[in-house]
Amino acid sequence: MAGLRNLYYQASTAYDELIQPNGQVRPAAASLLEHLDSLGPENLRARRQAAEAAILAMGITFTVYNEAGNIDRAWPFDIVPRTMPRSEWVRIDAGLRQRLQALNLFIDDLYHGQRIVADGVFPEEVLAGSNLRDACRGIHPPHSVWASICGTDLVRDADGTVYVLEDNLRVPSGVSYMLENREIMKRLFPEIFAHCQILPVDDYPARLHETLAALSPREGDNPVIAVLTPGIYNSAYFEHSYLAQQMGAWLAEGPDFCVEDDYVYLRTIAGLKRVDVIYRRIDDDFLDPEVFREDSVLGIPGLMRAWRRGRVAIANAPGTGVADDKVVYSFVPDIIRYYLDTEPLLPNVPTYLCMREKDREYVLAHLHELVVKPANESGGYGMLIGPRATVADREHFSMLIRSNPRNYIAQPVLNLSTAPTFMGDSLEPRHLDLRPFILQGKKIHVTTGGLTRVAMHAGSLVVNSSQGGGSKDTWIVEEEPACSPE
Amino acid sequence: MLSRVAENLYWMARYLERAEDMGRLINSTTLLLLDLPHGTRFGWDLLLQVTGEGGYYQTHYGKPSEEHIMRFLIADRRHPSSIVAAIHQARENCRVFRNLLPGEFWERINSLYLFVQEGVEQQAVLDRRERLSFLNEVISRRHALVGLLVGSMSQNHAYQFIKLGRNIERADMTSRIVDVTTAVIMPSDPSLHDAVIQSVWVGVLRAMSALEMYRHHVEVQIRPDRVVDFLLRDSKFPRSIHSCFADMEMALSYLPNSAMPAETLGHIRLRLERMQLQGLHPSLLHEYLDQTQKNLAVLHHSIESTYFHFRETGLWGEAVLPETIGASQS
Repeated sequence: MAGLRNLYYQASTAYDELIQPNGQVRPAAASLLEHLDSLGPENLRARRQAAEAAILAMGITFTVYNEAGNIDRAWPFDIVPRTMPRSEWVRIDAGLRQRLQALNLFIDDLYHGQRIVADGVFPEEVLAGSNLRDACRGIHPPHSVWASICGTDLVRDADGTVYVLEDNLRVPSGVSYMLENREIMKRLFPEIFAHCQILPVDDYPARLHETLAALSPREGDNPVIAVLTPGIYNSAYFEHSYLAQQMGAWLAEGPDFCVEDDYVYLRTIAGLKRVDVIYRRIDDDFLDPEVFREDSVLGIPGLMRAWRRGRVAIANAPGTGVADDKVVYSFVPDIIRYYLDTEPLLPNVPTYLCMREKDREYVLAHLHELVVKPANESGGYGMLIGPRATVADREHFSMLIRSNPRNYIAQPVLNLSTAPTFMGDSLEPRHLDLRPFILQGKKIHVTTGGLTRVAMHAGSLVVNSSQGGGSKDTWIVEEEPACSPE
Repeated sequence: MLSRVAENLYWMARYLERAEDMGRLINSTTLLLLDLPHGTRFGWDLLLQVTGEGGYYQTHYGKPSEEHIMRFLIADRRHPSSIVAAIHQARENCRVFRNLLPGEFWERINSLYLFVQEGVEQQAVLDRRERLSFLNEVISRRHALVGLLVGSMSQNHAYQFIKLGRNIERADMTSRIVDVTTAVIMPSDPSLHDAVIQSVWVGVLRAMSALEMYRHHVEVQIRPDRVVDFLLRDSKFPRSIHSCFADMEMALSYLPNSAMPAETLGHIRLRLERMQLQGLHPSLLHEYLDQTQKNLAVLHHSIESTYFHFRETGLWGEAVLPETIGASQS
């Protein structure tokens, strides 16, 4: 039983998801690690190879920009899953529901009475620099839900606390990898699935369909749903096409649509087909050249007219991005208290707002120990990781912060948790995060677990696919009755 | 099905057919040249007539030579009817609808593209022997693609658009290949004429893998007017223009709103049937074939305006811009 586990070192100060500081395996991972040990490195290598072959064959790719000729890349996948006991997941699940509900109430309020500003809970000056869209004021989307699909990034710090790092409310991606990762694991390790109670994840496409269908402006059971994609050169095109296929929805690009008399249609070989719900995978800016960026060729001219008249539903609704802002993020605990009158179940990472003078002074004086992030970027771009930055980088950022304080926040560097990852011939700790997906339509649904992203380079804290990250399957494990290897 | 996706399928099928037919034509011409007696004017430049892009060639290459013409027809990416460009376009179109086709299709078309690219880089087009086997490999890989669709694809709308594209391109290429014969200039010694005629028509039949079927179903003798009749109007030979029309008719019958293209097809089919082919002078044959290509262009526009025509707004993918039709323009 020694094998792999002994090779797995304990030197790290981070919390390990599978192994306790004393070297004991956490209960939720017990039978998994026992099984991996019994397989040994040679077998694991063979299964890793099988996984890579399966990824190629299944065509699971993401796209790298600016690589003409060879645009599809397989995303690195680690065959050692990340486990979490169900009892812990249940608490996180409740926290995620609470958070999205509050965020939707918040967005709806911002586009109507702005009660929360009037009551002095949310400062007006934050709103001034935000993504608030005038074109969305006074609109009532179905069920008052603006963000129907949310991807929330969770991280665990050294003391074991799980924090919300950010809420991706615009066009969160990654859910298809979560589903495919499970498919691959079931093929590779059918014997473990037979012995352990690993909760399934595969109902997501059905739940997504249900969520979108609940937004349809037309009566009837079979609304026409279309996934609006920027096209094959987008990095997430695989996911767009995967989800459309799984839901039996149309996969369409902007020019496939047209708007007539404020109804939205698809151009099909049988003529125009009216569309009820658009699951858009492009940003607000590109959605409708009549209202947002005029030069957009990805969008649908006239879409906003149709949406404002309630003739088509758009998920996520235009204007949702107002709550996807790292300054707004720092207010989410207050937002939860304000709208739901309860305490937040999931903590935020402590955040310094550079727009506040006191915070700014602190940040500028402590750049070497903080992570600085622009309020409005995603994908891990434009960040400064203080302890690893050069003096020149830090000076550059202090200039950026001074010139546009509203656009920067800072947080302490978290020591992200790790999990054993099969590198070469042995298990090594790699940092990771977790992105569950939360759906809200008529009902709320949370994925069981989510997408675990892992930084494949030793010591790296950056898990984004665009920056060398990979992924793992995520197992929410039922503890009672315990996993029983035969 | 989305109009854009249908258009992509249609063009993918056209490009694949074009690449295969071009490969066949080049190979059979290479063999034919070895058989012709001295004094016959049948140069490589006749192949330029097939694509109808002699002008483009002249601007970029100048005087016709075997090497340049082979580069132009096989390896020139700027030239939309070249084999490498056609396979590239087919592959780019295929990206859009990977999910509609059997799983291995994308992998195979991708590997075909990589094979062609490698062959072009390694100059496989210049040496006659290498070229022969290179093009044969392209042809057989394309056959595998068609076989995959015939064997594993439901005969749904997507399939019908592939069928339309394949057959309209094939009919067009057939007419162009037959037309090559009308440009052959005989040697001055009349005693050689029969032999030349034999060789040329055997070459044409070979280019279409039709020699055996012709001998079996028509006669062992190679007689020009009967060969023309066979390649244009035989109802059983699958590469004849008649068969292409019949396949398209069938495909249209499975598609919605097909009244207009079906009517156009009916007209041009009737014209084909009424052609007087017996004792036909080459110049008249050339005119007939030219007309056939024009008719096919009309049919193409009819299909386009019925199924793909919503073009008044937005940009369409570069891969399917009709300006690159090349061989189908007339």
